Amino acid sequence: MVEKTFLGFPRKSGRPGTRNHLLVLGINGLVATGAARVAAALPGSRLVATPYGRGQFGADKKCHFRQLVGIGANANNGAVLIIGVDRSSADEVANGIAARSPVLVETVTLDDTHEDALALAELGIRAGSRLAREISRARRQPVSVSELYVGLECGHSDASSGLAANPLAGALADRLVDAGGTAVIGETIEWLGAEHALRHRGAKPEIGEAIVLAVAAREAAVTAAGVDLLGNNPGAENIRGGLSTIEEKSLGAVAKAGSRPISGLLPFAGPPDHAGLYLMDGPSFSPESMTGFVASGTQMILFTTGPGNSYCSLLAPTIKISANPTARERLESQIDFDASSVFQARETLDAAADRLFAEVIGIASGTLTWGEAVGEGAECFTRIGASL
Amino acid sequence: MSAAKEEAGWDAVQIARNDHVAIALRDLSGSVRVRRGDEVASVTLLGPIPLGHKFALADLPAGSEIYKYGAPIGQLTQPVATGAHVHVHNLVSQRARQSAAPKE
Repeated sequence: MVEKTFLGFPRKSGRPGTRNHLLVLGINGLVATGAARVAAALPGSRLVATPYGRGQFGADKKCHFRQLVGIGANANNGAVLIIGVDRSSADEVANGIAARSPVLVETVTLDDTHEDALALAELGIRAGSRLAREISRARRQPVSVSELYVGLECGHSDASSGLAANPLAGALADRLVDAGGTAVIGETIEWLGAEHALRHRGAKPEIGEAIVLAVAAREAAVTAAGVDLLGNNPGAENIRGGLSTIEEKSLGAVAKAGSRPISGLLPFAGPPDHAGLYLMDGPSFSPESMTGFVASGTQMILFTTGPGNSYCSLLAPTIKISANPTARERLESQIDFDASSVFQARETLDAAADRLFAEVIGIASGTLTWGEAVGEGAECFTRIGASL
Repeated sequence: MSAAKEEAGWDAVQIARNDHVAIALRDLSGSVRVRRGDEVASVTLLGPIPLGHKFALADLPAGSEIYKYGAPIGQLTQPVATGAHVHVHNLVSQRARQSAAPKE
């Protein structure tokens, strides 16, 4: 039993939003405080302000730009107010967003106010309030589940994760992909030892090869720094929990990706071309990984945990799933979805996946997650190079 | 919302149909019920299996590639019988042995 529609905010093109944010986007560390000043004066707005944005070069600069543009272009934004320093880089980000998304964009910069930060705040508040009123005209309408793009993340895992929560997330991914939707998992280093299984799932041979190369490249980078990923993997704690090999540990993490063919390997923060299941080559630290998902376009994130993990995305509603019975009792409201029934053999994975799908539809349609209710949420830019 | 309300109906699960091992959902010993797809089968354990640990669902020769999650997780170093504990004492990584610095 899979729902066919959810109530979303249709956009002029591209995916509908599960939310209708006014995003205040600070694109340069020099105006991070200025962007915060503007957002504070616009109730309900969402603030993402990079501490960087200048003095970067090469692949790192490109990756940072891709994150800024992708965060702005996410379908959960009804409008984006760019706060910048110079006109030309603000326009560059605005044009990048416009190329990917029909979202309303306005820019205000220190160039416009001859470096006057308080005048910038006033300009920003005026522009932001116009945008807020404009996007408030939007109404939720039934949209196809095939328009949903979900990111799958795990953090703080235990025996219940590999046994229940991750396979459950995978069953959800299978259902979503079968319904024409899109899903992504990241955390490249967690594929270490599962490359053979992932390679065979590539929809084309070159996708499988690209996955293997991505793992090898990241492993080589880590090894070059003197870290042995295989020597202590699985660790003593993993072994006590029943994990015997690195393959087993990684397959437990990769279980979040379900069992459908892999349509492609995305670069960090890169958008998918089509519907289907994707892998994203990126860091394993959840704040960075999830921002990569958001910049790629996910309108929702499923986050599996064992003992609990409170981190949420700011822009994509984040559903916390735990199959650990004590965690659910301890963190009664913080765990959005209780999968302990699967772990305790009171419910089959299929039945729980149907329940989870219904929950995903509800949250996509406007039901608040724990993180949204308490204001837990952030976005975290990743850096892949030195500064000038 | 139609969560099953019946008492726990099985003690261990086979995650994918082609898996050679089942996973204990609690500390187990003796005769246990294993959920395999839509069925629940009975298996007699050869020793205690702690929560989260694996036991064999068939008699398997040394050198067998062992599947869990529908994919290989390593190779047996010795034969195991149905109901035997499968862990670091009889299962080795194939990935770690291929790496530049194999650890025996």
